[in-house]
Amino acid sequence: MDLSNLLSPSRTRSRMQGGSKKRVLEQAAKLIAADYPAVNPDELFRQLISRERLGSTGIGHGIAIPHCRVENCATAVGALLTLEEAVDFEAVDDAPVDVIFTLLVPNEAQEEHLQILASLAQIFGRSENLQKLREAQDDRELYDHAVELFTNLS
Amino acid sequence: MITGIYQVILFGAILAVLSILTSILSRRVGAPSLLLFLLLGMLAGEEGPGGIQFHDFDTAFLIGNLALAVILLDGGLRTHVSSFRVGLAPALTLATVGVAITAGIVGAVAADVLGWSWLEGFLIGAIVGSTDAAAVFGLLHSAGLELKERSGATLEIESGTNDPMAIFLTITLVGLLGTEAETSGWAMVGEFVRQMGLGLAIGGVGGWGLGWQVNRLSLPLSLYPLLVIATGIAFFSLANLLGGSGFLAVYVMGLVLANRPLNYVHDIRRFHDGMAWISQIGMFLILGLLVTPSDLLDVVVPGLIIAGVLVFVARPAAVLLCLAPFRFPWREQAFVSWVGLKGAVPIILALFPYLSGLENSDVYFEITFFVVLMSLILQGWTIAPLARWLKLEVPPHIDEFQQLSLGVPGRAGCELVAYKVHAGSPADAYMVDRLPLPKDTRLIGVVRKGEFIESNASVDLKPEDHLILLTQTHDLTDLSPLFQKLPTASYLRASEFFGQFSLRGDTLLADVASFYNVPLSDDEKRQSLAEFVGRRFHGKAVVGDRVRVGNVEFVVRQIVHGAIFQVGLKIRSAAEPG
Repeated sequence: MDLSNLLSPSRTRSRMQGGSKKRVLEQAAKLIAADYPAVNPDELFRQLISRERLGSTGIGHGIAIPHCRVENCATAVGALLTLEEAVDFEAVDDAPVDVIFTLLVPNEAQEEHLQILASLAQIFGRSENLQKLREAQDDRELYDHAVELFTNLS
Repeated sequence: MITGIYQVILFGAILAVLSILTSILSRRVGAPSLLLFLLLGMLAGEEGPGGIQFHDFDTAFLIGNLALAVILLDGGLRTHVSSFRVGLAPALTLATVGVAITAGIVGAVAADVLGWSWLEGFLIGAIVGSTDAAAVFGLLHSAGLELKERSGATLEIESGTNDPMAIFLTITLVGLLGTEAETSGWAMVGEFVRQMGLGLAIGGVGGWGLGWQVNRLSLPLSLYPLLVIATGIAFFSLANLLGGSGFLAVYVMGLVLANRPLNYVHDIRRFHDGMAWISQIGMFLILGLLVTPSDLLDVVVPGLIIAGVLVFVARPAAVLLCLAPFRFPWREQAFVSWVGLKGAVPIILALFPYLSGLENSDVYFEITFFVVLMSLILQGWTIAPLARWLKLEVPPHIDEFQQLSLGVPGRAGCELVAYKVHAGSPADAYMVDRLPLPKDTRLIGVVRKGEFIESNASVDLKPEDHLILLTQTHDLTDLSPLFQKLPTASYLRASEFFGQFSLRGDTLLADVASFYNVPLSDDEKRQSLAEFVGRRFHGKAVVGDRVRVGNVEFVVRQIVHGAIFQVGLKIRSAAEPG
């Protein structure tokens, strides 16, 4: 599966003002819903939050991969945000988070969902990859860097 | 006369220096350091280049007893009561029934091979019956390896508690062989209960009283560890004189002492660690000196058979039987079976027949020497690779930091600590003033390249920086993970070992299933993650235990007060073979 299909420039935001974990998830949900009108942003936000209740998706070293499944969505969709100032995400290593890749997948494609998550965790688990994303100055540059990382993997 | 004394001192000191230097070699080649000490003793002895004539069994016995008391005291000081949750029952079974089974099987074979009476054979079995896990932990530690708690705790507690059993059996058998008086089985049971009961009681009272004393007395700092070691040895002898097990007493004393609030506990531990080392070195050197290597040639055949039976039959059989009620995973059973390393105790026990003037006393000694040698070579060399192969390794805890206990009036447990920032450790990524420190912890300063840097500024921490902090003893468990060095082996990195995501133990499996594709029955969905995983391990899960469901694995990540608190979720890649 080509992971670069998950993203689009419209769902990539660099150096945003984060504020808090909740605010960040809310903004990610809005970005995705703007591109996919069938997805209700409030419902998506609620799902992301309930996933966080099972345990933070902050996987350490300042990166989080919030994810959930939703109805009315034909394919897997991602949104990538980097923050001007890192926020507390209750991550495994307690480090504040400033790179957030939100992933939502259709209810049906369950096995694929797992494999996408594993690949994302692998890519973002490397600090040299994160460094590039953090250095991106604007949305377009961030998008290009991310796509580059994704294509290098496959 | 005076020159002679200086010569003895010089030889002793040179041997000690060489032994300490050998431990570097041991790290390099992976050879057990105890084996090297033994060889060094043999080289220094009558048939080696050293040419020292040493046949003084009484001195060897005296030093051996002292050394053993110190080693057991250190073992007690290092045992954490928290490890009792998974380790106590299996370890005590191994330490009592296990030693008896091992001694029985080895004894029957030894009697047959040597053409001795059954009782004499059993004495050989008793002498070599106990396991020296202090040696095991030395080996694992120098290989930089941390074991899963189930095996680790079991071996650790077994090593501390099985020596009294082997000593009891040996002394009883030596007594039986010496007097040839008939003793009933019940009298033996009574004697066993008395020895262990007295040992336990004297050790418990001694440990409690000593702790009370250390916390109350005002002494120069360096005298506290000396007070502990002297009192420990006093209670060891006292228990022996009163007819109890001094070895059990001194172990229990260390255990009680270290597991109650104690001032200067780190200084005391560090001191005893060093004392335990010098005891091991001294004991093995003396054993090497005592033996006449050419005499060993006579016992090669029976020695090989007895060592073989011990390592490949008796220990595995004892472990299999003793651990059956505790349902250990097979990998851990296999590991505990193999780690029946013999060390200091058999050596001391082998001197008992000699001191009691039994027949064939030199054969007991030679066979024991041979068995210990074989065990050190065969098992000692393979323990670390075996633990890796059986996947019993867990990501290590940091234990390399400098620490100074401060005696601040009205503030017990004050510590000054210095941590090094390792590349890739959580602290590495932080700005100095954002470091998430526990509440009562103050940053004193940051040292970079030997210079203090402005520590209140927004400076990023860099690898090789040193942080100096003022903290409380109980905060160290929260503090240390920040400075955790990443394991060098990639499979031990947290994300690789515990999985990509981390879930709370109290999460319902139904909720997990609503987010991930995991095949679970309706009954399973009603359980929490902690219950589900805990049941697979009979309520005694340890960090690193894993359960596979479909294409995900649940890995126990953190245990708090005996309950599973965090579980890693590891997604297996579809390409990965089952």
